[in-house]
Amino acid sequence: MTSGMGDQPHLLLVDDERSIREPLAVYLTKQGFRVTQAGDAESARMRLAAYAIDLVILDIMMPGEDGLSLCRHIAATSDTPVILLTARAEETDRIVGLEMGADDYVVKPFSPRELATRVKVVLRRLSAGGTRQHAPESGSYGFAGWVLKSGERALVDREGVSVPLSTGEYNLLLALVTRPRQVLTRDQLLDLTQGREAAAFDRAIDNQVSRLRRKIEVDPKTPEIIKTVWGGGYTLATEVVRL
Amino acid sequence: MRWWPRNLAGQMALLIALALFVAQAITFSLQLRERRQFALAQVTGQAATRFADAIERGGRSQGERGRVWPSATNPIPPGVPGEPAVAGNLRDTLAELGVQALRVETGLAPLRPDNPLLRRGPPGRTRFLLANADELTLAIERPDGGWLVQRVPWVQRDQSLAWRLAAQTGILFVVILLPVLWAVRRLSRPLGDLTRAAQGFGRGEARPVAVRGPHDVAVLIGAYNALAARVTEMLDEKDRMLGAIGHDLRTPLAALRVRIESVEDDTDRARMADTVDEMNRTLDDILSLARLGRPSEPPTEVDLSALVDAVVEDFRDLGQDVAFPETDRLTLRLRPALMRRAVRNLIENAVKYGSEVAVSIEPGARAVAVVVADRGPGIPAERLGDVFDPFTRLETSRNRDTGGIGLGLALTRAIVREAGGDVTLTNRHGGGLAATITLPR
Repeated sequence: MTSGMGDQPHLLLVDDERSIREPLAVYLTKQGFRVTQAGDAESARMRLAAYAIDLVILDIMMPGEDGLSLCRHIAATSDTPVILLTARAEETDRIVGLEMGADDYVVKPFSPRELATRVKVVLRRLSAGGTRQHAPESGSYGFAGWVLKSGERALVDREGVSVPLSTGEYNLLLALVTRPRQVLTRDQLLDLTQGREAAAFDRAIDNQVSRLRRKIEVDPKTPEIIKTVWGGGYTLATEVVRL
Repeated sequence: MRWWPRNLAGQMALLIALALFVAQAITFSLQLRERRQFALAQVTGQAATRFADAIERGGRSQGERGRVWPSATNPIPPGVPGEPAVAGNLRDTLAELGVQALRVETGLAPLRPDNPLLRRGPPGRTRFLLANADELTLAIERPDGGWLVQRVPWVQRDQSLAWRLAAQTGILFVVILLPVLWAVRRLSRPLGDLTRAAQGFGRGEARPVAVRGPHDVAVLIGAYNALAARVTEMLDEKDRMLGAIGHDLRTPLAALRVRIESVEDDTDRARMADTVDEMNRTLDDILSLARLGRPSEPPTEVDLSALVDAVVEDFRDLGQDVAFPETDRLTLRLRPALMRRAVRNLIENAVKYGSEVAVSIEPGARAVAVVVADRGPGIPAERLGDVFDPFTRLETSRNRDTGGIGLGLALTRAIVREAGGDVTLTNRHGGGLAATITLPR
């Protein structure tokens, strides 16, 4: 991790609203981050060039050059991860943001704690030697006759009927589908799923898996799609096609 | 009036057919009358001349034309049907010719193939007479007591006339109908476009209609297009405004939410965070309710059981105990995200105000019911209808400490109605409330 001051990750916080930016900077500093602030896209570019920034927290709606355009610029010129702050929860914003190269997003008004957690998750993913996962949510994944449409958070069967999933089920399935044929331990799965939504914290992964199996397996008692790895965890034992 | 066509082209065609038929029938009957008059005049004129001839020649006509012969008595037996019109006419004509006739008698008999009357004339004529004519016997009593008799073919029915009329009507019908149908089609096709566009507009598809057809219709379409454009513009403006309101309210809310984190007291902080969440949800509801007229999500085939199950599961994930028995797959066409929200609002209410929340799906032949039942205080019977109105607050047990307002039910009803269904509330036997969403299958 490149950092100017000791081990503290250096965050660039870009938001035109001082009423949000300043207290948030105070909070994140308390959480052990070094925080640099920028009030618009132009000063953000200057600070990106001047400092070794580990992660950018970026407001989408800004006067002048907006957050999405800046996000595209960052994704094109560097490997610095981006978390978007968005005022609208509409799906289009999510997809567009993630297509632009953002790593995650939070919807205003957000809990600063949740934001801090997500910052840590993204940084941990990177420091664990993991590649950056741009747009983990955008697009559709086809597997074993099913299609998981991430934009609409829908699972669609062969006949085109949409089978809605709970938030927990969706996160778990997305984690599995984006890592086919990898063995994922329960800890890994918890880590991968809890960063996204506040839900599903204390629900056991096993329970979610068995619910998912009831929905997608031909015979849930002898699962062919989500297989249990003894002593390990779970794996998606089928080919996944990105559609 | 099942035979009465409902569309413009059908009604026009039928009306024209009826009018043509009536007009042709009138023409036909006039023509028929004229022909009869003519035939009568011809037959009686010829017959009178022959009688006069015969009398001049001494009671008997000569040669080929010798068709008049004398008879001592009335040759027509009593009871044989006659032609009074011919008799009357003949009497008048004879009087004009100065022929005295005491009595004029007529008698009709079928025309047989061996009748000598048929021997004259070409074969075509013979066939025609055989098919359409009778044998008419004409007899006059002379002042001397003797009778003069002649027989003529009497054409009673002329089928060729009916055929000609049918053919004429048919040709007229086709000739008139083709341009009329063309004109009607020129009228009805743009009207159809307009209807489809107006129906589509209700479903949220705003497309301008191609301006075509006769001037009046083209003007109407132009007016509709202008109207639709204006409505679309206003809706866009509303969306933009709501987006701006949402943004402007969310920003201070977000600032507040961030600042709350610096509050030392854990309980206070949690309460404040809850309040901000509550305000945010209400803001969300207001925006959703206002935008519901133009839903961005298209309807798709959705498994309703899985949808309800997913919502219930989200509540369980948050530690709420909500019962939902496993239900067979049930495919409906709806907007999944909105319907999720409708069901979620009902369960949220039940969890908030009641206990023992039980959700169930009751599939029927025509409709499906999603029932959310709780064991809570229920709602006074006289208020059951009100609670669906936006911003309704119940003073009694269902009031919230946070001062929340009842937008959830209004939103649920708006979503369900948009999907063609309805939502009702009933107080349960033994206490509690049952909220039922009914959706058409």
